[in-house]
This record gives sequence, C-alpha cells and structure tokens, in this order.
Amino acid sequence: MDVVADEVSQVWGDDGPHPVVALDRFSHRFRSGKFSCLLGPSGCGKSTLVQIVGGLETATGGSVRIEDPARPGTAHPLGADSVMVWQNLNLFPWRSVIDNVAFGLEMRGLPRDERYEKARALIASVGLTGFEHHRPAQLSGGMRQRVALARALIMERPILLMDEPFAALDAQTKIVMQEELTRIFEATRKTILFVTHAIDEAILLGDEVVVMTARPGRIKDVIPIDLPRPRSLDLVNTKEFGALFDRTFHLIREEVTKAMQQQAAMAAGA
Amino acid sequence: MSKRPGKAMRTFEAVLPALSIVAFVGIWELLVRLHGIAPIYLPAPSSIAVYLWRMTADGSMAFHLGATLLRIFVGFAVASAAGVLLGLAMGMSRTVARVADIWIAALYPLPKISLIPLLIIWLGTGELYKIMISAITAFFPVVISTYAGIRQADRGLIKAAQDLGADWRQIQLKVIIPAAIPSIFAGLQLGMGVTIILVVAAEMIGGSGRSGMGYLLISSGQVMETEKVFASLIVMAVMGAVIMKSQQWLDRRLAPWAVQDDGRL
Repeated sequence: MDVVADEVSQVWGDDGPHPVVALDRFSHRFRSGKFSCLLGPSGCGKSTLVQIVGGLETATGGSVRIEDPARPGTAHPLGADSVMVWQNLNLFPWRSVIDNVAFGLEMRGLPRDERYEKARALIASVGLTGFEHHRPAQLSGGMRQRVALARALIMERPILLMDEPFAALDAQTKIVMQEELTRIFEATRKTILFVTHAIDEAILLGDEVVVMTARPGRIKDVIPIDLPRPRSLDLVNTKEFGALFDRTFHLIREEVTKAMQQQAAMAAGA
Repeated sequence: MSKRPGKAMRTFEAVLPALSIVAFVGIWELLVRLHGIAPIYLPAPSSIAVYLWRMTADGSMAFHLGATLLRIFVGFAVASAAGVLLGLAMGMSRTVARVADIWIAALYPLPKISLIPLLIIWLGTGELYKIMISAITAFFPVVISTYAGIRQADRGLIKAAQDLGADWRQIQLKVIIPAAIPSIFAGLQLGMGVTIILVVAAEMIGGSGRSGMGYLLISSGQVMETEKVFASLIVMAVMGAVIMKSQQWLDRRLAPWAVQDDGRL
C-alpha cells in the first residue's frame, strides 16, 4: 500500500490566540514495501503525521490517501490498513502478554482458542515463549517492546506505523530490536513509516530518510538509502554509511539548532 | 548504600507491633491494680477479658456483632452498586456527568448525620433507616472515585485500542473500565470505612431495636458497665481491622496489576 500525503497541515489551537503550526503542507508518497524513516527535531510534527496516517488524528488541512499501487485511484479508509507501534508502547497493564497480543483479534470477535493459537505463534516469533501469562510490569523494557511489536504484527496490516519505538531502550537492547525489525521487514516487505530522531537508526533501517524541518514541520530533503539488503549492524562501519550519515547530519544540524532556539524563546515567553 | 539490618534486628522489628500492644496492656493492668482505680472509670484488662469471655459464651456478643455486620454489608452493597453504576454512567455520558455533578457538589459536603432527623421521619427507626444512612454516606466516595477513575483513563491506551480496531463499546468495556479499577477499589475501601462508622452511629442514635454493636455500647454506657463498653470497643476495633484487611486482600487478588510495589493500592 502506498501512503500518499498531500499538503497535510496540522495546526494546534487555531481558534485561540496562539495557534501552533505542527505540520505545514507536508507532501510525500511513501511507497509500498519500502521502509521510510521520518527524521527531525522534537516538535517537528513527525508523530502527528503518523497518527494522521493511522486515522487517529484529523489533519486540519490537506489529505492522506492509502492507495493500492496496482489499482491507482482507489483510496482506502485511513486506519484500516495500518497499525501503530507507540513510543510508550501503550500495553494494557491488566492484560497478560498473550491477551495483549491477542487484543486486536478479540476486538474482531475471534474465539479464544483461535486467537490464542495465533498469538502464541507471534509470541514465539519475537522470542517470548514462556512469558505468555506474565503481565507487562513483570517484563524488561526490551521484552515489553517485543510484546508491542507482536500485538501490531498479529493484525497483519500492510502498513506499520512506528513512532520512535526504540527511543526508551538501552543501547544494547536497541541494537537487538533494530536487527529484529530489519529481519521482519525483509521477510514481510510491509510499508513502514518509522519516526526517529536518531540519524544512524534512520540510515541503518530505512530505504529512504525524510528529513523534516523544525516547527513548522516541512520536508527539508528526502535522502534515498541505497545500501544493500539484507542489512546488518556491520553496515555502520562502511564508507557509504559514513557518507550518508554526514550528509544527513548536516541537514539536521541546522534544524535542531533552530528547534532549540524556538524552545528557548517559548520558555522565555512563558 | 544503607546498612542491611541483621537477622535478629529484623525479627525484633517484625514482632515490635505485637510487643507494643502487650506492653501497653501490661502497663494498664499494673496501673489499675497499683492505684486501685474504680472499674467504673477504668477496668483492668483482665476484668474486661472476663466480660468479653462471658458475653461470647452467652451468645450476646455474636448476636450484636452479627446484626451490625449484616447492616454493614447490606449498606455497603447498596452504596457500592449505586455508586459504581452512577460513576460509570457519568464517565460515559457527558449529560449524566453534568447533571450528577451539581448534586454531588451540593450533597457530598453535607454531614450525613444531619440527615438523621429526616430519615427517621421518613423511614422510622428500624432497619431501613440504619441501612440508608450508611449507604447514603458510603455512596459518595464510591461514585466520586469511580468517575475520577474513568476520567483519568490513559488517552494513549484508548488510542491504542482504537488503532487495534476496538469500537466505542469495546473501548468502554475493555479499556476504560479496567483502567478505572484501581480508583474504583480505592473508593470502595473509603466507602466501607464510612459504612462501618455510620451503621454503628445509627445504632447508637435514634435507632430502635435492641441489637447491634452501637446499641450494646450505648446501653452498657448508660448503666455504667464500663467493662462491657471496653469489650464492645475491642470487638469493634477487631471487626474493622478484619473487614478492611480482607477487602485489601481481595482487591490484590482481583487486580494484582493495580498494586504498587509496597503492596498498597
């Protein structure tokens, strides 16, 4: 599924005295089966954009279409083809691992045996067999992250929306999860929109990096990442990776400085 | 790094609460005996124990305790059912919340014992009066905590459920209500506390019928049977502790995720 963003804008508090433009006429076609990373400073509207794509926020301007590339012009409703993995995971604390993973199937009305069977397979695929009946609070951060991933993957949606999913993990766990996600992507070829503020993560994972400006969020540049797949962490030491990193870094540095100045100005004004 | 206490020290700390009670009773007994205090003012623990035993043996304690417990549980059941239902309705409907809010704001701060004259006029001095006064009082903490729990449901969890295909009804049943459980349980604990207080108060004030711990307490006090007064107080303290602790235990069993690291809700 292609995700086509057409002049998408999001203004917070536009009926008040101080409207904040989070997203400003963002246009881009996220291609089917590609891993796209959205990279930008805090507050540039990248999380807002994925929530709009997922049908969980309504844009104040422009539109997002979900298109089957084989049948252009047939738009699908937002949210029906995508599933979200959240930065703070949003696991249900009162549900066991298996009931968290099976949540979406339960909402569809699948009988318990059937959804448990599928959930067990997903839990096994993320390496959590034996933890089916633990509660999220009883797991480590990396394990909780795997539960969140399994809960999204069980939906079998062609589009995976990921909002800084690994931001809260420690460095080692993050590497393992990045490798895991690469493996899943290369096996399933889902369309992935991955929000991050880590340059190395964006280049390592993505087929393209959409660099965004500080608020108001616009596209600054789109960098294609033509590194070969299957990818592994060894890529980080190659000359090509270094060149891509430098190019991205110079684009993003200006924007981060701008974002920091904006935040300082807001703090001074508040 | 704090120094870990030794094993002997930890054992001592574990028995310290019980030890303090034993020491308190011992000093009390000694003081009464050494100074020859009249039992009408302060009976010795040993003579209270004798009375307690007699009242247990002749069944009068069980009779009064049973009457009080029955009123407590009926009052609590009425209050919690009504409170949870209205709290949930307020959480799900803005209209219900707006209407109920003004009533709660007006009636919650009103001391419920000030309703006693009216309730007696309307309901008489029998069982209905005692149950109603305790149920009305317990209703407020339950409804307020339930509504607060619903309103404080994590927006992120609601969005996640929506993303996973939950409709409005499923979000209410599978996300918002479970998320409110810790708050609802906290309200039920507060409600149980005031139910106990109000049932005993109603048995003491205005209630007819010669039963209940409140009746036992006030009738013993009127004839200066101070030993019986103390015996009733002890039984009531134990009754309260057992009810509150059982409720906490039950809450932990039903909602283990809601328990904080220190084991409290």
